[in-house]
Amino acid sequence: MRNQIVFYLNGKRHNVAGEQAGMMLADYLRYDQALTGTKVVCAEGDCGACSVLRYFPHVSGTDADNYIAINSCITPVATLDASSLLTVESLKDGDRLHEAQRSMVDSHGSQCGFCTPGFVMALTGLVEEKLSKKQKNISDKEAKNCLTGNLCRCTGYQAIIDAATKVDLKIEKTLKDRYYDKEQENALKEAYAKSVLVETPKFSFFAPKTMAEAVAYLDKNPDTRIIASSTDLGVVHNKRKIHLTKLLSLHLVDELYQISSTDKVRLGARVTMTEFRHFIKDKVPDIANYLDIFASPQIKNIATIVGNIANASPIGDTPPIFLALGANVLLHGKNGKRSLPMSEFFLDYRKTARASDEIITGLEFDLPGKNSSFKAFKNSNRKDLDISAMNMVIQVDWQDDQKEVVKEIRIAAGGIAATPLRLKKTEDTLRGQKIDQKLFEKICHDVHQEFTPLSDLRASSAYRRVLVENYLMRFFKQEVLA
Amino acid sequence: MSKNSHDSAHTHVAGTSEFVDDRPIMRGELFMDVVYSTHAHAKFTLDYSEALKDEDVVAVYTAADVHHNVWGTIFKDQPLIAKDVVQYAGEAVALVVAKTTVAAQYAKQKVKVNYQDLPAVLSINDAKKHNSYIADKRFIERGDIKSAFAKAKHTLSGEVVIQGHDHFYLESQVAIAYPLEDGQVEVHSSSQHPTETQHVVAHCLGLDAKDVVVQVKRMGGGFGGKESQAAPIAAMAALGAIKLNRPVRLCLTKDDDMVMTGKRNPFQNLYKVAFDDDGVIDGLEVELFSDGGAYADLSTSIMERAMLHSDNAYFIPNMKVAGQVCKTNHHPHTAFRGFGGPKGVATAEIIIEKIAHHLGLDPLEVRNKNVYRDEDGRNITHYNQIVKNNCLPKLFEKIEKDCHYKKRRSEITKFNQESDEFVKGLSITPVKFGISFTTRFLNQANAMVIIHLDSTLQIATGATEMGQGVNARICAMVTSEMGLERSHARVMPTRTDKNANTSPTAASSGTDLNGAAALLAVRKIKHRLSEFASLLLELPEARWPSKTAGLGTEAEIAIKTRNLDSNDPNEGADWKSGKATYFGVEFKDGVVTCKGRSINFPDLIREAYLSRVSLSDYAHYSIPGIEFNKLEGSGNAFLYFTQGVACSEVTLNRDTGEVKVDQVDILMDLGRPVNLDLDVGQVSGAFIQGMGWVTTENLVYNDQGYLLSHAPSTYKIPNIQDTPRVFNIELLENDENYANVRGTKAVGEPPLLLAISTWTAINNALTYLPTYKDSYPEVRIPATSENVLRAMAPQAFSKWSTP
Repeated sequence: MRNQIVFYLNGKRHNVAGEQAGMMLADYLRYDQALTGTKVVCAEGDCGACSVLRYFPHVSGTDADNYIAINSCITPVATLDASSLLTVESLKDGDRLHEAQRSMVDSHGSQCGFCTPGFVMALTGLVEEKLSKKQKNISDKEAKNCLTGNLCRCTGYQAIIDAATKVDLKIEKTLKDRYYDKEQENALKEAYAKSVLVETPKFSFFAPKTMAEAVAYLDKNPDTRIIASSTDLGVVHNKRKIHLTKLLSLHLVDELYQISSTDKVRLGARVTMTEFRHFIKDKVPDIANYLDIFASPQIKNIATIVGNIANASPIGDTPPIFLALGANVLLHGKNGKRSLPMSEFFLDYRKTARASDEIITGLEFDLPGKNSSFKAFKNSNRKDLDISAMNMVIQVDWQDDQKEVVKEIRIAAGGIAATPLRLKKTEDTLRGQKIDQKLFEKICHDVHQEFTPLSDLRASSAYRRVLVENYLMRFFKQEVLA
Repeated sequence: MSKNSHDSAHTHVAGTSEFVDDRPIMRGELFMDVVYSTHAHAKFTLDYSEALKDEDVVAVYTAADVHHNVWGTIFKDQPLIAKDVVQYAGEAVALVVAKTTVAAQYAKQKVKVNYQDLPAVLSINDAKKHNSYIADKRFIERGDIKSAFAKAKHTLSGEVVIQGHDHFYLESQVAIAYPLEDGQVEVHSSSQHPTETQHVVAHCLGLDAKDVVVQVKRMGGGFGGKESQAAPIAAMAALGAIKLNRPVRLCLTKDDDMVMTGKRNPFQNLYKVAFDDDGVIDGLEVELFSDGGAYADLSTSIMERAMLHSDNAYFIPNMKVAGQVCKTNHHPHTAFRGFGGPKGVATAEIIIEKIAHHLGLDPLEVRNKNVYRDEDGRNITHYNQIVKNNCLPKLFEKIEKDCHYKKRRSEITKFNQESDEFVKGLSITPVKFGISFTTRFLNQANAMVIIHLDSTLQIATGATEMGQGVNARICAMVTSEMGLERSHARVMPTRTDKNANTSPTAASSGTDLNGAAALLAVRKIKHRLSEFASLLLELPEARWPSKTAGLGTEAEIAIKTRNLDSNDPNEGADWKSGKATYFGVEFKDGVVTCKGRSINFPDLIREAYLSRVSLSDYAHYSIPGIEFNKLEGSGNAFLYFTQGVACSEVTLNRDTGEVKVDQVDILMDLGRPVNLDLDVGQVSGAFIQGMGWVTTENLVYNDQGYLLSHAPSTYKIPNIQDTPRVFNIELLENDENYANVRGTKAVGEPPLLLAISTWTAINNALTYLPTYKDSYPEVRIPATSENVLRAMAPQAFSKWSTP
């Protein structure tokens, strides 16, 4: 058992204990380490000004075997245990600017400069990936996708896109080569091998090596919060609405990083959105497309799918996906393990069927079959990186490849009720039926009896209702009526 | 680094550029936070006893602690901290000072504010109903509006609803105040207006201006939001510093910044227009109403600019504009890039679109019919200023050709007939933005240039750097005048002890004013050095002061003309190079040459110093010819106009109302840019910022006028994915702006107004729907997905009786 958080920052080992472990990384950098290159604007993971790079070397064979960009403003230092971190101060090699920096200067990608370090770090993350894949250039689209999580108010972005595409990959070395040496590797491996407990009167953080330890700890300390990457809790903490004081993290539990698809797909609790996208992109492209406009790369690089489910927000973007896939939630508590259909998981506003001693260890689901249609819709005021006003995911398993008669259907929507919602009456009406214009008109009319959306700052109730109808219409138009 | 790079680009990318909150925390430094009202209008009492119980809390201050509890740029009507009554949600009621930021944030939650609500005015309509106004209604009138309508073939009327717009500078309002000896204070502020900040600090604290120094190194964005509203933040920090005799830092969170500070004023404009069968406008009557918020701030000046831009680019023979600022219980709205301009221009442009739709003409045709032209006296604005150097017709002609407007129009028409999922729109709008402060006395600046003995230069002006590159431009002007590389000089942080009585860096005037002053200052030095060089280079080197000064064997080289006096930065300057030459002496590539003999610049500086020639100077510049009578609404309001056109193509999703801006082509006349790359950066940045205003940026308030969308999670500025896939920016060559320093044209604000083309394109797209066969959509600003879908399918919404 360790009693210190261990990580490497710009090549130097940091041991952190006590309340410092509960500081957000950005605050630790700026006010403790005088590394003020990292900026904080929103403190909620929506602007990317605080971007730093993180390498978590313990999960092998994945897409993220590199330094990748994360938000430092909503990430407590403790959750970065056993990681290697780099800030903007690490990029220059002596007097030489890193290519991501040089290109931003030469393309006029920086005006006031406040967002710039964040852009540079996010872009450097892409450079690392490109170099590791031995790719030679960066396209417009790749540049935009990598920088979706960064806001700039001065440039209008065009100069930044130009900068990204003009990075000369041929002359840059990876930061991994520059910083990640044998000493670091060994030290982080050693850290990862041992559970860690940081305990002070005002702050505690426990990260066990096994689920058994985790369950036992939670049973003894029921007021402990299970924390993954804090991409939601960190926001609420920063707004001073909750205080993150007693935390349980599963980041040292090996098995939770697994994603496997032998029979059913099993997705562990520590699988990030980025990992999941990588896994699913060829299997269900529509989910990958939907994930592309959801959240930022920095968030998706660290946030877990299970965290998004556990969070149980009525406008969470992944619950409707898994509801439509018919997924089960895997729970582990003091009385053992159980598997619960997700449709029975969400009970009320932010209330779930997880018992207080239980931990979600993963999800299990079947991929849509050959005779299935699957479509995910997400509406938000701004298309990319915006919390949904309303989302809807539909899976239809057709009787046969004629795609006329509905064998099974799951329609899940967010933003129209206190929980992510299955539209079960509509499903019942459609199940076993041949879809025609008349039936379609009936469900568009009847569906409204299943939910009562609120009006809030994102959308009016009426807008949400019209969207439900229009999405259903678009789905059936494309799949059947076309 | 290329010669046109921003002067801080290399430190920006390295993360070493210093912003206020990056300053090291000093020993004993304390942290302040602001407790603000969550009610629109209420009597209140405070109980902060719980907050004081926290051992990390050092002090709580209220209105009673402020020496002069009043400030305001135009009218002194606003308390620094509200006393007894709050006028808006977000108004400061108390200041908490603690040992850490986090302690201050938790402590402020413990301050209890007990409200007794008073009737609140929360909209322009409310204000009209209750005659709740700030200042008198103003008018600008030309021609005979009555008879224009009496003989009109067609008339149309309507109302344009324009919501506010948050600046969303990345760096929120921030200040650190350091107490100095003998009751002085030095404030580091993120302010566009150090002078006003200094004055507000001094006034609120009961100090003399001589005891307050304000420094602005740079801002992480300003956009007008730090023109007036940085001052109270600085005064709050200074209050703590003076009371406690310890440094005090006040750094607002983004949420608090957005709730507390004012926005671009919302407008609701009524119009009536008279026109003929060809769409030629004969008469226009516009009544502008703005939401000024609870205090005057800059709203009356903003309204004036809106009135002066209600013609946009069009000659309107008979025109009457009225402008009234409404007093509401919202945060005091303030300057934002374009000032009132965008609100006047948006109104003019939607009128044009509506006329075209009414007559079944292409809107571009109607624009061409009405645009200012030099012929037939159609070049005089409604405030009787002649539109000189008018290139608007040329801009229209060129953009129509370059962006293949006609071809795309027919493609779009075809597309719209075929798609049931999307509908497209296309629109070109122009801008003719008046450059100068409409308040004459603000059109002045001063600058200081120092040459050190190693021959490097320091430049100090009243301009503040907020990303626009004003320092890079001024530096380029000064060094090129002296034939030096830009790296030979540095522009210093803006400080009120070096440049006093300066104007805000606003109205796109930063370079015009401060660049001119700096150029005048360096020319004074150049003039002296030229005369000195002409004398020095007649002597053999052996007789130069450096060889003889210590001995006193030679008579000192004495120059006769010590002071050049000019207020014209183009006086004596070669139009092509922009450089002035005196005494036949040339400054080029670091070498100074006279009659075939040369000396390196550093050597000249050494010799001049030894000969007791002053190597520093100061100059003042005031823009000539600004003669605008505000009461009559007539005269030369502006030195010149920056002009441009833009074409936007948009696609609307018919299921959701989502807007995608597909292509934008911009063509502008920016005179002869000192720094083309920085100018293009201003154009693209301003356009995208304006595009956000007209599309996704939605300010949502609760029924207490408290802003709900107060963070980027809820307030959506454009993202990198929103940048149009095709985004072309071209500048017209124009060598003929003799009015301004080096023939440049101001660029900061004008391109923001070009984003109105995105809004008119959205409306244009809607006109293709059967719903708008006989009517015009008039989607408000912002055209959010929901607003657009409501306009597309009013019948789908009418079933649901929710707001």
